[in-house]
Amino acid sequence: MSKIVVLGAGIAGHVAAAHLRRKLSKEQEVVVVSPNSNYQWIPSNIWVGIGRMKSKEILFPLEPLYNKKGIGYKQAKVTTFYPEGDKETHKPFVSIEYVVGEQKGQKEKVTYDYLINATGPKLAFDMTEGLNPGTNKAYSVCTYSHAEHAWHALDDLIQQMKKGKKAKILIGTGHAKSTCQGAAFEYILNVEQELRRHKVRDKAEIVWIANEPKLGDFGMDGMLMSYGSNIMKSSEMVEMVFEDRGIKWIIGAGVNKIEDGIAYYENLEGEYLSETYDFAMLIPAFSGHGFRAFDKEEKDITDKLFKGFMIVDADYTPKPYEEWSVQDWPETYQNPSYKNIFAPGIAFAPPHAISKPRVSKNGTSISPSPPRTGMPSGITAKLVADNIIDIINGKKELHHKGSMGNMGAACIASAGYGMTKGSGISITTFPIVPDYKKYPDTQGRQLSKTFGEIGLAGHWLKMALHYAFLYKAKMKPFWWLIPE
Amino acid sequence: MTQRISKSKRFFMMNPVIQFFKFIWLSLRILVIVAGGHGGTRKTTTP
Repeated sequence: MSKIVVLGAGIAGHVAAAHLRRKLSKEQEVVVVSPNSNYQWIPSNIWVGIGRMKSKEILFPLEPLYNKKGIGYKQAKVTTFYPEGDKETHKPFVSIEYVVGEQKGQKEKVTYDYLINATGPKLAFDMTEGLNPGTNKAYSVCTYSHAEHAWHALDDLIQQMKKGKKAKILIGTGHAKSTCQGAAFEYILNVEQELRRHKVRDKAEIVWIANEPKLGDFGMDGMLMSYGSNIMKSSEMVEMVFEDRGIKWIIGAGVNKIEDGIAYYENLEGEYLSETYDFAMLIPAFSGHGFRAFDKEEKDITDKLFKGFMIVDADYTPKPYEEWSVQDWPETYQNPSYKNIFAPGIAFAPPHAISKPRVSKNGTSISPSPPRTGMPSGITAKLVADNIIDIINGKKELHHKGSMGNMGAACIASAGYGMTKGSGISITTFPIVPDYKKYPDTQGRQLSKTFGEIGLAGHWLKMALHYAFLYKAKMKPFWWLIPE
Repeated sequence: MTQRISKSKRFFMMNPVIQFFKFIWLSLRILVIVAGGHGGTRKTTTP
């Protein structure tokens, strides 16, 4: 009998636990440790942030589902890793601390045979002075509670605009090394459409601020894509949409401080500037959780497991941008020191960025960190689960592989909500990490699989994905037929 | 605000009938790309 412990119940953790439970016999134990009581479909947070969806429509409680499916569940946070055990416990374990109920504050050793670290990122608001959701008129849509809070503030501003107030809205990234520009991109377009729906668009100046060197970089070095019968750069597509919607933009901006209604930033020219606002939604930097690890002699071995995020089978050798290759990216998400530990989704340490690193004239690094969105999170979690199942069944090698350099992704970016008035920008890219050797003439991407489309169908598609993935996450009949 | 999307293109983007067929086509195309497989990069490109 084996015990598999999954840390985290986001997209990666939940997908891994669900596949493990479905494919393994009941003799094998699957346990999820997560501080969150709910599963949330994060891509729909932007609709909560414009008041068009309620939180309850994008989440469901985990414990009843896990009880029904025979998955163990501990509502707790992991604090420390002991991959060799310690002097008292000879099996590997993680130390956890319960976060609710009578057990709150209690610590426990959770032993495992296999460990899946799917703890995702820490939302590092503290890396930007003054950036804290709900203070200084700055908000976030990174969680459903943040998004609800953002909507209340935006709704309040809309009511003031209806009475004649002129307002400035600032949306983008809140740190020089932020990622997840896509979420901010969706939010700014949705906010713009909502202002039109409320007939106050003429009262608002909407400004995009981002650490991207060009519009449409999205932390992926931009894309060359087919668009209808044309071939277009993602920067051109985003510029077209922003101009058409009357959205101004500031790029190459590393926001470093927030005060009440003022965002201070440095740009790639080395200028220190500021932008005032009445409402801001800024994506913070993502960081690792600061976990520590010890060996059986209780010697600190954190650097064997973590490099900010968890170390996996990537090539972490420092090298210049020109020497980066897709082969640097991990394939199995297995820790090289402890082969029974895996880190799919956002929990693994990327070998380097995807976008070309850029430094301001003052030496400040201002460029996006690599994004790892829902789709690769799900795919990598499933392949990790399949490899663990293979090992349990006696296979010696890891046959399931999925490098982001050989994986496609779809980004269905909402550009406005509504069954007849809505819009979406559907972008697919293959591969996610550009392979400049394989596709030298098309900026590292296969054009037949990298395309963009704008229109109402994109909104329907995002809605369809919302319902399909919540159905899948609830593990309803034949859920596994829906691909990651 | 600068009009960058022509009226005819906008009609195409927002017409529910046209977009219904676009929805079917997009769903299939995305399914093919995303569910079409993934794999490693090292064995195939490293001698």
